[in-house]
Amino acid sequence: MSQTDTNKPNETKEMELGKFGKFLKDNGIDSTRKDDSINVETIVISVKDLEPALRLLKTSSETKLNMLLTISGVDYTDRIDSIYHLWSYDHNDALVIKVELPKQSQANTDTVNLTSIANFWSAANWHERETYDLVGIRYLRHPYLRRILNPWDWEGHPLRRDYKQLVDALNDKNPHSFR
Amino acid sequence: MSELLNNDLNSTDLARENAALISPELADTVTLTSIDKAINMLSQIVSPIANLARSNSVWPLTFGTSCCAIEMMCVGMSAFDISRFGSEVFRATPRQADLIITAGTITRKMASALITLYEQLPEPKYVIAMGACTITGGMFNDSYSVVQGVDRIIPVDVYLPGCPPRPEAILDALLKLQQKIRTENYAKRRVQAYQQRPVCYVDYDCGRPLEDLLAMAMEDTSLALDQK
Ligand code: SF4
Repeated sequence: MSQTDTNKPNETKEMELGKFGKFLKDNGIDSTRKDDSINVETIVISVKDLEPALRLLKTSSETKLNMLLTISGVDYTDRIDSIYHLWSYDHNDALVIKVELPKQSQANTDTVNLTSIANFWSAANWHERETYDLVGIRYLRHPYLRRILNPWDWEGHPLRRDYKQLVDALNDKNPHSFR
Repeated sequence: MSELLNNDLNSTDLARENAALISPELADTVTLTSIDKAINMLSQIVSPIANLARSNSVWPLTFGTSCCAIEMMCVGMSAFDISRFGSEVFRATPRQADLIITAGTITRKMASALITLYEQLPEPKYVIAMGACTITGGMFNDSYSVVQGVDRIIPVDVYLPGCPPRPEAILDALLKLQQKIRTENYAKRRVQAYQQRPVCYVDYDCGRPLEDLLAMAMEDTSLALDQK
């Protein structure tokens, strides 16, 4: 990874806009292109552009990315990404959209907020609940933002990098645990 | 007759006589009565016969939480045919079953449900911990959500290692369990059995016992009635 960075530093910084990036730019939404994720165009957009961009990509006859495959979250210690995978059956096309959410402070990591898209895309409902459960992004204005996989009384978000689970009677069998 | 009555009164003597019946860790919580003594005498005659019948009709609960369940289904089909050993009747309710084959990973969220199921089984009840997952947590051992072995939450009779165990191994575990049942004594089991607890119903949305919620609702209605 570091080798490719030193070899072509310019390319990783300023990548040419792809098909969807150009389409969004024509409609007045800025985006930055990132490395493709397995031949699927990957773009980063800002928080305020997320809802208009998704609405546009979903309904426009040019893109028709009208299937939301999944929403996931990744913890990069200083920020958390919320990632949207879109798919178009009509054009057999796919797009990955990332939204970068900086953590307010290292100590108080529970304050990562983002506006929910479940109001106009109902497929997002459970995916946002799952991302909230495991990574801890709070989707504001979500109709029912509760834990979906873990029990209701779980403490913390297990896929955060700084997550530490207490050792109790149910998980003390393994002496070589990484926990 | 008078001897019997005397025995009734001297229950401490009786307890000393039957001390061998009670395991040391239960010694200060269990007291034996003359009924227990009668049962003890009877069970020496009846148990061998009853056990033979019971061991050949161990009905398992349909309980499969992941991949091991496929092998459990396989053992019920004609190629391996668990009905040769009298266990083909997989019951869909714990009230009619004698045995839980815990086929699959138990997560922390499933743990409470498994405890409920175990408590709903009528005595005598048995547990086969099937697969690496239910013995130690298996390959999900280090995961945040997995219980590292069902023996942390319910008592286990037979451990069956493998990932997943072959269907023949399940039959072997069943035969081991049958041996265990045949050597059992009803009176001993009765004394050592866990107290059957009434099941506690929990509202999974807010995580509070239904009794509490009901009490709150009753209080609210009585308040409203008072105000009228
Ligand atoms: S022991 Fe192996 S086969 Fe059985 S449930 Fe666990 S992972 Fe699946």
